[in-house]
Amino acid sequence: MVLLQESCANSGRAVAFSSADQPNPTEPLVIVVNRSNPVDELSFDELRRIFLGNRSHWPNGRRITLVMREPGEPERKTVLRDVCGMNEDQFKNHFVHGLFTGEILVSPKILASPVGVRKFVFNVPGAIGYLRGVDVDDSVKVVRIDELLPDDKGYKLRTQIQVAN
Amino acid sequence: MPLVDQWLSAASRHNAVLLLFVVCCGVTVIGALVIRDMQQANTEAQKMYKSSVNGLQEIGELQYDAQETRRTTLYALTTTDSNLQVEYADQTREADRRVRSGIAEYGRQAKGSQELALADRLNRDWTAYLGVRDEVLASILEGSTSEAVSLDLKGGVPAFEKVRQDLNEVKRLFGEDASREQASLAESSRRSSSRMVGILSFTFLLSTAAVWAIQRSQMLGRMQLANLQMEFVASVSHELRTPLAVIRSAADNIADGLVKNMDALHRYGVILQHQSRSMGELVDQILLFASTEDRNKRVSLQPLAVEQIVESVLSDTEVLVRDAGFTLDLEVDPALPHALGDLSGITQCLRNLVGNAVKYGGADRRILLRAFASASRDSSRGELQISITDRGIGIDSSEIVHIFDPFYRSPRVHASQIHGTGLGLALAKRIAESMGGSLTVISQLSAGSTFTLHLQISKGEDLQTVANEERQSRMSLT
Repeated sequence: MVLLQESCANSGRAVAFSSADQPNPTEPLVIVVNRSNPVDELSFDELRRIFLGNRSHWPNGRRITLVMREPGEPERKTVLRDVCGMNEDQFKNHFVHGLFTGEILVSPKILASPVGVRKFVFNVPGAIGYLRGVDVDDSVKVVRIDELLPDDKGYKLRTQIQVAN
Repeated sequence: MPLVDQWLSAASRHNAVLLLFVVCCGVTVIGALVIRDMQQANTEAQKMYKSSVNGLQEIGELQYDAQETRRTTLYALTTTDSNLQVEYADQTREADRRVRSGIAEYGRQAKGSQELALADRLNRDWTAYLGVRDEVLASILEGSTSEAVSLDLKGGVPAFEKVRQDLNEVKRLFGEDASREQASLAESSRRSSSRMVGILSFTFLLSTAAVWAIQRSQMLGRMQLANLQMEFVASVSHELRTPLAVIRSAADNIADGLVKNMDALHRYGVILQHQSRSMGELVDQILLFASTEDRNKRVSLQPLAVEQIVESVLSDTEVLVRDAGFTLDLEVDPALPHALGDLSGITQCLRNLVGNAVKYGGADRRILLRAFASASRDSSRGELQISITDRGIGIDSSEIVHIFDPFYRSPRVHASQIHGTGLGLALAKRIAESMGGSLTVISQLSAGSTFTLHLQISKGEDLQTVANEERQSRMSLT
């Protein structure tokens, strides 16, 4: 635990514990879009609608392309749990149903790595995805959620810190 | 032709090597120029080849990378795996970066307005294509393949066609540039070849001219020598025949009993004596000249008082001067140092000079013998000079260089029927040089001539050596 704390301190990331009894270190999960996207801020509700495929276009008319990590990844779990309020099966069913009924136009794109997510978002003007803070660079734009940046206090979207084996 | 012969004669005096030297110099200089030309052409050819190869390679790479940008974009169409599509997107952007760098390099190296304009157009067309490419790529990644294909057909294909045409234009211009350079190189090579041919022709002509000149100068020299020798034989025969005729006539008269009294007999005796002495002197002079042919032969030198020399010359030429009705004036500086030389040689030399003064002295009939010391021209030792001056016919300046040549006789002298062998001055000069001295002349036509014998001045040790030799000689006599 001491080592974990040191690692977090060195990385400069904001670390929080989910409960006092059972310390569970987390870090913010950053929502990123293409740099050409005019959107700088989303409400948590808008974010939920986007990730559930209920919103299909950006204000500039660009089609929204949802970028997800592979099933089982902690970031995906966080988004499904905290944003979509679903588990993996519910999420799949939601999209199968939506695509079948035509309520949802495009299924999420699945990328194997954070680098892949970042490059995808960089190449597709309407893409939106999520990354850990350490994986973010200038090729993508960070979006405020409920007017808060990932490092701001009260930022809701947090995921478990990955411990290197 | 006489001018050529005159020049050749001069060349033969300075040796024909001079001509060969001129040929060598000429060939060396022009050869160096040709070598420089060839090296320059070689360097240019290497530079052109390197530039051509590099240029073609760069253009080839540019064309390949442009195709690669398009190819990898379209590869992304072949899969629905977003991870693979992202990799293809990476590859197309990497190829795009290389193309941009290649276009920028082409713009930097562009020569002339045409290439600059082309570089500009290529850059513009490439940027336009990339705009379409980005849209196509985004559509592919979004999963809208039909939209991607439609976008590519509508915008990508024509935009890339423009880029392809621009690249072909780049290649065409490069080819034209290379052709121009090749033509320039060919011209340079042709120029070098022409120069080489020129050099060879020049060398051949110059060598032929040199060989011809050498042969001609040698032939002229041999002809000149043969002429001089024939003239010499004729002169000697004439010089011998005149006293011989007198001697024979006198002998005939005596033998025929025409000489009756003692006075007449005495007169005949004097005539025979004079003529036979004259013949003897002529023969002696010829023999002496023959003996001086070996220039390395040195006479034994000894210190001589100027008075001793003057006395010897006066007694030797007294009869000659008196018989010719001349007056020999003396101007001998007082307290002159001893000269280093051979008395008989000096006397012979000065007798020849006095003889010439008598022969060519003119109506004035005065000869001046001067003896004085002066600084030497080529050493700090100083020298003793004995000069013979006459106020006679003088020597033409064009003949001055020839008068010391053996057998040479001036055409004016020939015309004036003045007899001689042409050996006197040559002999005098050789004698002077054999004693380490020299013989010089200053002359003006119709005003007279001054011949000066330059002798070394004897040092103290020379005198001491002579004194020792004399003492030893006296001791051996006693």
